[in-house]
Amino acid sequence: MDKLVTARNVSKRFGDLRAVDGVSFEIEKGRIMGLIGPNGAGKTTLLKAILGLTDCDGELSVMGLDPFRQRRELMQNICFIADVAVLPRWIRVSQLLDFVGSVHPTFSRDKAEQMLARTKVAERRDAKVRELSKGMVAQLHLSIIAAIDAKLLVLDEPTLGLDIVFRKEFYANLLTDYFDEERTILVTTHQVEEIENIMTDVMFINEGRIILNRTMDSLSDDYVELLTSGERADKARNMGPIAERDVFGKKVMLFESVDRQSLSELGELHTPSVADLFVAKVKGVSA
Amino acid sequence: MIANQLALIRREIWEHRSVYVTPIAIAVIVTLVSVAGMVTVSAFDRELELAIFGASSIAGDAERRAALTVFFFGTSWVFLLALAILISFYALDSLYAERKDKSILFWRSLPVTDAETVLSKLLMAIVVIPLLTVVAIVATHLVNLLISSVWLVLKGGDAGHLIWGSVPLFDNWTAALIFTLAGAVWMSPFIGWFLLVSAYAKRSPMLLAIMPLAVIPLIEWIFFRSAVFAELVFGRGGMLPLFRGLDLERYFDEDRMRMDEGAVSLLAHLDIAGFLGSPSLWAGLLACGLFTTGAVFLRRYRGEV
Repeated sequence: MDKLVTARNVSKRFGDLRAVDGVSFEIEKGRIMGLIGPNGAGKTTLLKAILGLTDCDGELSVMGLDPFRQRRELMQNICFIADVAVLPRWIRVSQLLDFVGSVHPTFSRDKAEQMLARTKVAERRDAKVRELSKGMVAQLHLSIIAAIDAKLLVLDEPTLGLDIVFRKEFYANLLTDYFDEERTILVTTHQVEEIENIMTDVMFINEGRIILNRTMDSLSDDYVELLTSGERADKARNMGPIAERDVFGKKVMLFESVDRQSLSELGELHTPSVADLFVAKVKGVSA
Repeated sequence: MIANQLALIRREIWEHRSVYVTPIAIAVIVTLVSVAGMVTVSAFDRELELAIFGASSIAGDAERRAALTVFFFGTSWVFLLALAILISFYALDSLYAERKDKSILFWRSLPVTDAETVLSKLLMAIVVIPLLTVVAIVATHLVNLLISSVWLVLKGGDAGHLIWGSVPLFDNWTAALIFTLAGAVWMSPFIGWFLLVSAYAKRSPMLLAIMPLAVIPLIEWIFFRSAVFAELVFGRGGMLPLFRGLDLERYFDEDRMRMDEGAVSLLAHLDIAGFLGSPSLWAGLLACGLFTTGAVFLRRYRGEV
């Protein structure tokens, strides 16, 4: 079973609002899927459905389980960090490790200790979570999650509010300590650029719908950015860019499935950043 | 399942340290007060010089036993009053705090069901917290008796006979254990109600829990001129069907004391069969079960925090 998550026509309504509106997608084993969308796009709702925290319409299967109805089985093989601040503030570091160890069948205390040993949390084993800095709490949470032998890790804005050093470190640790071809990660973040280099797949969601879903490798095949100016810009504009913006008096145009040969005669070609592509796609939808 | 339950209960004790700190604090206070009492009494009254428990002015063994029982009974009530408050606050906080600080998202990321979690909180309120209080009661008695013994020996008295031989320790402690647990089970509909409110309240669970208890009797009085609800709710504490002819006055009546020497037993007054056979007990447990199930469903199905 290589398909870890399968969604067919999944919807979730809150009254008249369609938070998730008939989405279909698959996530394969061993991938790092970035789920990117503006605030209120339905990211968190979709993740909650995958984690079995909320019910939804349509067909949703996670590791062959119905996440909402088979939550306990699901939680044996899935981990999530919903927010940086959710570790209970009253608990001591050592108590937290004890507790997870006693309720989680696949938690490895040794592995968690090894990871913690490399952080400042190591010296503060008897400290309560409320006495740790936000960055240390995130390190602690990641150490616990990474020490659980789970098939799917779901991260919802895991680095929100952390400073840049911790954010970099968080993703570096994630790759070295957690990820391998047997494991799969689904991650959402506002800071697209910080996961751009680690994700293998990307999915854009806007107003409850998926507007892009593909592998990072194929992005550069289909999307290209042209840096041009003057007359050549007018010619390029006739080729139907999906977005255009000004940079230092020059025009940057983004094209989808275009003949690169003829485009290359009009200026410099670049692979667009995921952030630029995202902005172009979201604007394109709402325009 | 049982391993999870133990881990969950241990976690509850870590989180709510007041469940053992409070009984310990009361134990210390009770001990200090009774020591102060001993010192004061012996300073003013030479007759009672041998300290309260071994006082030579108390003539017979039966009186001494009764005096000790009354003392035990009296100090236990302080613990039980605190216990009621402790359980109420615990239950109201148990499913509210984790939503308030969002840690519920972490707890729910572990392979523990909502039913298991809520059950652990119910067991805390009905069994664990009362047991901790019973332990504190027993420890307080022991410490007090030890201090009295030392005092008595220093004054040249025979502590072995006057104190340890006179105190129906096992009887008193077993009665305290049964009474405390039975009381918690008897009051379980309130505990269930508090858990439900705790799982539901967006803010101030205390207010939300108490409001219906005040409003419903009022409405009932206005429309039906009756007070059935009020009697059921507020009268329940006084209706615990565990006692059989308990008459505390007899412990203060010397003549009657002499007549039934040896019968000074709290345990003899407990009517366990009557308690277990009481329909009111089972109705209360049913109500507790319904409320608790409601709390499980709220935690499970309310998608938001």
